[in-house]
Amino acid sequence: MSWEPTLIHYLVLAAAIFCIGTVGILIRRNAIILFMSIELLLNSVNLTFIAFSKYRFDLDGHVFAFFVMAVAAAEAAVALAIVLHVFRHTRGLNVDEVQQLKY
Amino acid sequence: MGFWEPLFFWIFALGALISSCAVIVFRNTLYCALALIVDFFFFAGLYVLLSAHFLAVIQILVYAGAIMVVFLFIIMLLNLRDEEIGERTFSLHHVVAVLSTLALFFAIGGAAMMIVDKDAVKQGREQAAVERKAQAELEDGQKSEVLVQTESRVPGLYVDLNEAALESGFRARLNQYEQGTATPADGKYRPFDPERPFEMPPSLRSPEPDAIGTRPTSAGLYGTTQPLSVLLVNRFVLPFELTAVLLLSAIVGAMIIAKRRVV
Repeated sequence: MSWEPTLIHYLVLAAAIFCIGTVGILIRRNAIILFMSIELLLNSVNLTFIAFSKYRFDLDGHVFAFFVMAVAAAEAAVALAIVLHVFRHTRGLNVDEVQQLKY
Repeated sequence: MGFWEPLFFWIFALGALISSCAVIVFRNTLYCALALIVDFFFFAGLYVLLSAHFLAVIQILVYAGAIMVVFLFIIMLLNLRDEEIGERTFSLHHVVAVLSTLALFFAIGGAAMMIVDKDAVKQGREQAAVERKAQAELEDGQKSEVLVQTESRVPGLYVDLNEAALESGFRARLNQYEQGTATPADGKYRPFDPERPFEMPPSLRSPEPDAIGTRPTSAGLYGTTQPLSVLLVNRFVLPFELTAVLLLSAIVGAMIIAKRRVV
């Protein structure tokens, strides 16, 4: 490990941010913050894709990151519509209170 | 690798880590969203360091621009009061979550460490030092040629190979795409008609290497829009079109879900 950034630095950074996002999903109960944590996960994976892509001299990782961004945009639109719907039903955003689908 | 690039890497990395933590610890949802916007800007900086210029711009436009506007819009539309947020108080659940995720982090980090060949890195560092010393004795004209041979052959050491080496390797691959000589076995390029190599439209052809000059650092193509678009309309054309369908269905689905009652 040196001061200069290498592939391993980017990988460990992406792993750390992925884990921060995972902690966010596990400990928060606010639906909007859950979706923000998912965005964190997607971004850390993008960082891994791009670091490997530069390491390997090709652009395939960039293309994958591009598709991940498109999927994230679609996911955000649908997820926030669901959040709006949940808020109308339960007057709150606690995901623990959304259990009607179980029955 | 000069002095500035590692410095900016550490600034962006620490900023990304701190603002990611801020996203999950703030109680107010609005502060979380603002921290996430800051986080996206740090990510864009990291993408620039990785020569992903197009994706850095897209990151700011799509993530910080479009997606976060939707988030902020919803947060302000709902205008939540504290009792509606429904957060638990601190409990054992949180400790367990943090500990198990820490274990996950060490698992991922250990796996990432294992892919780096330690001996190769050490050997590469020594060789790079020798070649840097040799380069220092040369005059300026031969500098770039020596640089090509230096850091690019260090396995696992520099993710940021110098721009000249990056360009030559990338350009060779781009030429392969254009001539259609890359075989399907490489998994790189598959022409639609195996008998006839795909003819690139002139607007998509990369300029001749001579037109750019011997030091292509200022006009580097890697990670810019042109080669990415060549990939998107050739090898990845089917997923690219499917993305359009996905976005369309997401728009329609979001409208139907958010509507109070579908008549």
